[in-house]
Amino acid sequence: MLLSSMTNYFEFTNTEWEAITLSLQVAFWSALLCLPFAIFTGWFLARRKFKAKFLLEGFINLPLVLPPVATGFILLLLLGRNGLIGQFLDEIFEIKIAFSYYAAVIASMIVAFPLSVRSMRLSIEMIDPAYEEAAKTLGANRWQSFFRITLPLALPGLISGFILAFARSLGEFGATIIFAGNIAGETQTLPLALYSAIQVPGQETTAFRLLIIAVLFSFVAMAGSELLVKKLHHRKHKA
Amino acid sequence: MTTLSIDIKWSRDNFNLDMKANFSDGITGIFGASGAGKSSLLQLIAGLEKPDKGQIAIGNDVLDNCETKQFTPAHKRKIGYVFQEGRLFPHMNVQQNLLFATRYIRENKQQISLDEVVKLLEIGSLLKKLPKQLSGGEKQRVAIGRSLLSSPRLLLMDEPFSALDTSLRRQIIPYLIKINQKLKLPILVVSHDLPDLLNLSQKLLLVKNGQIIAQGNYLDLIEQDLLINIMEESGLNNMISFRIERIETDYFELSKTTPKGQIRIKRNKKLQHFEKGDEINVSLRPEDIAIALNQVKDVSIRNQLEGTILQIIKHGNQTYCLVDVGFKLLVTITETSRQSLKLFQGETVWCLFKSMALKVNV
Repeated sequence: MLLSSMTNYFEFTNTEWEAITLSLQVAFWSALLCLPFAIFTGWFLARRKFKAKFLLEGFINLPLVLPPVATGFILLLLLGRNGLIGQFLDEIFEIKIAFSYYAAVIASMIVAFPLSVRSMRLSIEMIDPAYEEAAKTLGANRWQSFFRITLPLALPGLISGFILAFARSLGEFGATIIFAGNIAGETQTLPLALYSAIQVPGQETTAFRLLIIAVLFSFVAMAGSELLVKKLHHRKHKA
Repeated sequence: MTTLSIDIKWSRDNFNLDMKANFSDGITGIFGASGAGKSSLLQLIAGLEKPDKGQIAIGNDVLDNCETKQFTPAHKRKIGYVFQEGRLFPHMNVQQNLLFATRYIRENKQQISLDEVVKLLEIGSLLKKLPKQLSGGEKQRVAIGRSLLSSPRLLLMDEPFSALDTSLRRQIIPYLIKINQKLKLPILVVSHDLPDLLNLSQKLLLVKNGQIIAQGNYLDLIEQDLLINIMEESGLNNMISFRIERIETDYFELSKTTPKGQIRIKRNKKLQHFEKGDEINVSLRPEDIAIALNQVKDVSIRNQLEGTILQIIKHGNQTYCLVDVGFKLLVTITETSRQSLKLFQGETVWCLFKSMALKVNV
């Protein structure tokens, strides 16, 4: 009796399923698309010395502390239909970004980017540049030594950067609701669906189900990332 | 290789390097204290640093020319660099490390194959291991092999003796001699340890405070009184090149033939990494040699070489005699002995030493 009522309890509605799968998709794509930028920026911050570094760092880390709603608003100002870039995209290419699936991905990317960069940077800083020097004396140019030496050695950072960005995207709310809206089936990710369910009286069951899923996803992502980083960092990079 | 010539100025953080030299084939030892600029010199030659002024060239191939702002990047120089710590790539196994450079060289330009390198350096059993599973000496051999497989025209070695335990540090010497002799690859070896360096080569470049103080054969430098100060600290030594006559499982025999006779050495020890006919360096400390005015008949010392005193060098409390016995031999005596024997330049004397004083450095 109790078991069957429990399984009934976890029979998701269509909207709920959509929110869950959409969340996973948005999180996956934003984490993945973050990576190339994060690899480059992380490498740049780790290997280059210049005076204005603190300015660049401050700018990159801005989404970490800025209210996500503000981040969303900035995105809207830039990429919205009347935004600086949005207007141009709309007129020339007839591309409308705001309030679309892509907007949800972009909002997540921006918010997750600092985490991804930080992880890449720490990982690259741990790699002795001496290896890259050795690769050069063996005939590898800068790119070859980056792809054969630096990047493989930074793999722990790459993986943990991906997972952190993925987890952060799963929880993304503020920037998404402003920039991508709360359109069921298109931009309504799990946190947004949860928010909607809480707002409407009588949706407590939905809200509770989504809550459980949110906790579960976040926990698996964070615990998994910890585990991976520990495992990978244990293979010490000492030759 | 045709000659490597450098004529460069370079400064970093209050350190000024100003060097001009030519290097020919063979093994050249670059000796100097820590911070003298030896490693900087190697980095400049390898293209890991750019000179501020001057030129670096191998034969007619100009690598760096500061006037025309021409700098060949490190990866295009074909100069092998064996770093002190080896710098094996930790995420690759030994074989992957060895083959790292091969994809940047056309197959018909490969000077040496993986099999040959493995055989030469005896690293066949290590191929599937990761760098962290190797001992210091093994890492170093793999690093050398990795460099050789990039088909360099010149090999630079930074402190090859200091990464190893004292008892093992000289194990690398036979390999380097083989590489030089069999591959005809010139080698520049940097070290702050003169006795170790002398086991490898008697061609020296002395570096101090970013400048070259002398370049030449070790005994010539001693004759010019350039080395005694430096060498007294680390212990003066005669380095004599012997020929390997016989290698058996439990003993080996070496010989040195001079116009005035022959010295033979037999040691009850296994001699590895060498073949019959190879040259091998034997050291003999100047204080282990005695000088007599005549051949001494009733004495147990068998090695008695007749020679002429080329030079008498007084240095502090010590007196050194440089004697030509078919090769140059440095002998330490006290000033009292010199006076009582009335030794002078050009005099014929006999140099006596026990066979056991000859140290075979393998």
